[in-house]
Amino acid sequence: MADAYCPDNMCSFCRSCFDTTLKGDYDYLDGYVASNSCDNRGKMYDLWRHHTKLPYIHLINTPHTNTEKAQKFFHDELVRFKESLEKAFRTPISDQSLRKATRVYNENRALLKKVYDLRRKDPSLLSGVEALEIVLSSALTPKEEHNRLLGQLLHEVSGRSNLPKNGVRLLVSGSVIDDAELLRIVEAAGGSVVADDLCTGSRYFWDLVDSDAKPLHAIARRYLDKVPCPFTYQSEDRFKRVMDMAKRYDVEGAIILVLKFCDTHMFDAPLLKAELESSGLSVLYLEWEHAMTGIAQLRTRIEAFIEMIKGVS
Amino acid sequence: MSATETMRRLQTTRGFYGNYIKKFYADAHKAKEEKRPVAWVASTFPVEMLQAIDVIPVWPENYASVCAARQVSVRLCEAAERENFSRDLCSYARCVLGSIFGEKDLPEGGMPKPDFLLASTGACDTHFKWFQVASRRLKRPLFLLDIPYDTTGSELEGYQVRHYVAQLEGLVSFLEEQTGRKFEMNRLKEVERLSDRTSKLWLEIQDCRKAIPTPMGARDAFSAVFFMLCVPGTEMAVEFYRRLRDELKERVENKIGVIEDERYRLIWDNLPMWFNLRFFDYLNSLGAVIVAETFSHVWAGNLDISKPLESLARKYLPNFANAVAERRIDLILRVVREWSVDGVILPTNWGCRMMSIGMTILKNTVHERLGVPSLIIDVDSSDWRSYNEAHVKTQVEAFIEMLSKRNQREA
Repeated sequence: MADAYCPDNMCSFCRSCFDTTLKGDYDYLDGYVASNSCDNRGKMYDLWRHHTKLPYIHLINTPHTNTEKAQKFFHDELVRFKESLEKAFRTPISDQSLRKATRVYNENRALLKKVYDLRRKDPSLLSGVEALEIVLSSALTPKEEHNRLLGQLLHEVSGRSNLPKNGVRLLVSGSVIDDAELLRIVEAAGGSVVADDLCTGSRYFWDLVDSDAKPLHAIARRYLDKVPCPFTYQSEDRFKRVMDMAKRYDVEGAIILVLKFCDTHMFDAPLLKAELESSGLSVLYLEWEHAMTGIAQLRTRIEAFIEMIKGVS
Repeated sequence: MSATETMRRLQTTRGFYGNYIKKFYADAHKAKEEKRPVAWVASTFPVEMLQAIDVIPVWPENYASVCAARQVSVRLCEAAERENFSRDLCSYARCVLGSIFGEKDLPEGGMPKPDFLLASTGACDTHFKWFQVASRRLKRPLFLLDIPYDTTGSELEGYQVRHYVAQLEGLVSFLEEQTGRKFEMNRLKEVERLSDRTSKLWLEIQDCRKAIPTPMGARDAFSAVFFMLCVPGTEMAVEFYRRLRDELKERVENKIGVIEDERYRLIWDNLPMWFNLRFFDYLNSLGAVIVAETFSHVWAGNLDISKPLESLARKYLPNFANAVAERRIDLILRVVREWSVDGVILPTNWGCRMMSIGMTILKNTVHERLGVPSLIIDVDSSDWRSYNEAHVKTQVEAFIEMLSKRNQREA
């Protein structure tokens, strides 16, 4: 249904979210919160406002830098967002409830980091597909419930033994991957995805909110200080963090998987590729479509890449 | 009659490339040789700030359009693609990056190497990401004016203006640091006075195009907009626009149109195919003329020199690329009404999300409110591999035929 409103040359993930809404699958929602954190998303705000019937739609104006001025602007923007929520849903949001939410979310982040630690082992105690699905489920489950489940999971997985030897240890970098199929292809071809730099992976949870500071200040700071997304000015910082992760998780290669038309990632990708290669890693850069068209060709290239690394080592 | 014969070119814009564009690049190269500071600047950046501290602005976007007009843009895009920059990225970006990746035989000798680069989030993220790549490659610093997205589409919010001004204050420090000079507010006011004059003349020029028949079409407008975009606060800009306005006024008085038999008055949204400006002659040959471009309307803005920084915020923040759709819709609705428009051409741009997403909203709104039809066509500003001329011409001819039937019905 989105085809009636969306051009061919736009992000297929944004298109898919919008399509799901038009089909009525999100009719249970009371609102949609957008951000200008990329050109696709910023412009999609117009389509959501004009073509969906959600009662509440709000855009959070997100800075692209992390200066003192940007911090102040973003804090004030979060105050405006809070007030807008309070008005729309006639519910006050107290500092106390923000602190409580911060605590619960931080716990989730800390637990996810523990999950990721299990991937540093050789062999990794979790497959890349499992790890991705764990993070994806965090985004969809009430956090208290997810924390409880993560506790159980850590207990079970830590006791895993007699695992088969790892395949080629890989880091996957990119934007959104909300379907584990891509990683399944990588792991079926003899790779083991043990680390990631994804919006739906480590970048989602890696950094905590300072629970001692004033809540909205701390939240504003966390979102600007976190591992940067390529839509920010801080690309160099991101490259460093990815390089560190590659080292810490002891990977042999990296696959950069960028959704087509994700401009900011497409500008960063050649630079990140060069950085990773300069540290001796093999890197494959691929673009993919959310609808998984052209998947056979991707599979062939992934298989050839993994064979190449195996041949070298 | 051939397309070019249909069209009456203006005196003022004759030889524009040789007289102004070539000179602009030659002057910039000369400035570089004389060790005067040169900056690469992205559009929607408040260039008056640079002029006030005697930094020479060079515009990569303008350079990409030059490369496209000279038919070398695809070669440069391919050079960027060889370095893994995706073919789906903005063709301006690929073209300019290609020009710094060691390609030879560049138009106007390429752009002089910058002392620093200046970008803004005020049009798109692509701007500053591309400048970031250039900054890294050229080992020159990049300053980013990080400005808010215009969420109202009408009156700006006070906090948005205040944040813009705070960003300008950061820019002042950056410019002083880079040039070793002191930024003088009085000098900025002088530049703004000229820039304001430039804007007013440019808007008068647009007003002249309301006349039936219209005295100027898109080909001349897309050349002449150069001054508004690149060097607004200069005597040269004021002088050029004064001459252009006078020529148009004379045409209006004598009822001389840019084409002899004006039948369809159209708006052209966004950018042209710089590699094929003859497309406008082709439109003329069908009896159609572009009476306004949204691109021409977006750059002018009044400057109140009693508030030099705030007025720059008010001039540059409300750019429709950095705003909710309402700002672009309101502009198009106003132009349709005041310029007696029969139809709107809405070109998408393969590498540009800002210009491609939401076209249906524009098309539907203009039709619902004013009963005026629009045509969405898929083009690209500089990469002709993403443009199918035969297909676009078929669409345009069908659109014109539809307009012709409407005119007959109304008559």
